[in-house]
Amino acid sequence: MAWSERLRRRAPGLLWAPGFLVLWEAIVRLLEVPLYIVPPPSAVLWQLWRNLPRIAHYTLVTGGETLGGFLIAVAAGVPLALAVAFSPFLRQTFYPAAVTLEMVPKIAFAPLFVTWFGFGYLPKLIIVFLVCFFPILLNGILAFSSLPLELRRLCASTGATALRMFWHVRLPAALPQLFVGFKGAAVNATVGATIAEWIGGDAGLGYYIQIATGDLRMDLAFAIIMVLALLGLALFGAVALVERLLLPWHVSQRLPPTTA
Amino acid sequence: MSVAVEVRGAAKTFPASPAPVHAFGPLDLDVAAGSFVAIVGPSGCGKSTLLLMIAGLLDGSAGEIRVGGRPVRGPLTEIGIVFQSHVLVDWRDVLGNVLLQADLRGIPRAALEPRARELLRSVGLDGFATRRPYELSGGMQQRTAFCRALVHDPPLVLMDEPLGALDAMTREQLRSDLERLWMRTGKTVILVTHGIEEAVQLADRVVVISPRPGRIVREIEVPLPRPRTLEVCEQAEFHALVGEIRRLFASYGVV
Ligand SMILES: Nc1ncnc2c1ncn2[C@@H]1O[C@H](COP(=O)(O)OP(=O)(O)OP(=O)(O)O)[C@@H](O)[C@H]1O
Ligand SMILES: [Mg+2]
Repeated sequence: MAWSERLRRRAPGLLWAPGFLVLWEAIVRLLEVPLYIVPPPSAVLWQLWRNLPRIAHYTLVTGGETLGGFLIAVAAGVPLALAVAFSPFLRQTFYPAAVTLEMVPKIAFAPLFVTWFGFGYLPKLIIVFLVCFFPILLNGILAFSSLPLELRRLCASTGATALRMFWHVRLPAALPQLFVGFKGAAVNATVGATIAEWIGGDAGLGYYIQIATGDLRMDLAFAIIMVLALLGLALFGAVALVERLLLPWHVSQRLPPTTA
Repeated sequence: MSVAVEVRGAAKTFPASPAPVHAFGPLDLDVAAGSFVAIVGPSGCGKSTLLLMIAGLLDGSAGEIRVGGRPVRGPLTEIGIVFQSHVLVDWRDVLGNVLLQADLRGIPRAALEPRARELLRSVGLDGFATRRPYELSGGMQQRTAFCRALVHDPPLVLMDEPLGALDAMTREQLRSDLERLWMRTGKTVILVTHGIEEAVQLADRVVVISPRPGRIVREIEVPLPRPRTLEVCEQAEFHALVGEIRRLFASYGVV
């Protein structure tokens, strides 16, 4: 696709954001909405600039918890999913327990973790891990247990060892569903970190937003929300990018037909 | 190299609900080493099931199957199978799908690649080695699966309607390729097909199976000379054999 054609297609998506900001600024100013209700975008950007060092520092804190919890959940969830998919025993014992735990709102544990582990990094990491772990585990189990029967038969007729079959067939076949779990987890991760900091933290964007709203500094709060949104987008975008690179063959990744 | 297949009293009943399904049998079948046998029968009469049992991929309910003199207990590996749904994988290109045989068997790719390319050329896919399955037509996908079943030079080849989704021209081409390949290598081939002409054109013997529960109603020797060129297939004898099978089908109310 030509560069100009690409731009033409993306243009509507790129233009609505500045348009929306201008409209917002205009309405807030015309109606003279007080700053502590809804601040204009210019005030938000100003706060972002003025508090940049602190926001940058807290972004690293929240980003670290988010990424750390996410990666630990991937590292734990995928092998465990594999084990559950292939162990009838785990399927009968661990799997129902996991499904039940998935129903529990993980964030409810946050105050408990504060009591147990204090206000630091660890309780947030655990919360992020928990909100990421279940989507990865459940999608992983589905991913590893839905290999088509005839593909399994083909493998059997080659006498393939379990390892060769895993590497050449099971893993590539499982990747699309695994990534459904990764993307779900990526969305949960930032939410988990923010709320965990909110409930009991002494650093991070979630903690900062609580301070800002407590002081009715809505312009600052909006600036933090903006950064949080970017943080969430960055993690999700990174996962989606890896997916694109790894699975160019998958239906969801193929180029849309030219007629669409 | 080739092996004989002996089927003795084999039968299969699936324990399905609400009632078990008696798919086929008991039936006896002998396929001599190096011969080409075609199995024809109406849909649902148990052809695929029988093929899977011969391959050791499905347990029978009764009887015994021997391949190369040894009873079949588990999946056979000295074998090439074209499954009814061709099961190509989207994460590999056409050549990669054929070489999946090498990777799964732990054979170095380089050892099988020349033969893979030769097979792809023989079925007219040489320009498509780097395409993904979803970029191919149904018939091209089937031809890829066909190459994958043959690339490791197995002594026994089981094919479940490998020419089903092909156009008349490609089918004709593939039939003669298949015959040539078989005449050259002397493999034992069991071919399941819906095409009566195809069966008569390719096989030494055509096994006709009744509607479910499938039983062998007749085994018809095909004494036509090889290669079975178009001229051979225009002979009265060819048409007589095709007619005989068609009348058998008609007597079961199938055609
Ligand atoms: N896993 C299964 N569970 C229950 N019934 C089955 C199963 N597989 C096959 N059957 C039944 O066994 C019978 C034979 O199936 P099979 O696939 O062998 O037929 P076929 O002769 O290959 O038919 P077709 O020509 O349509 O491919 C069918 O009636 C089918 O319903
Ligand atoms: Mg079938």
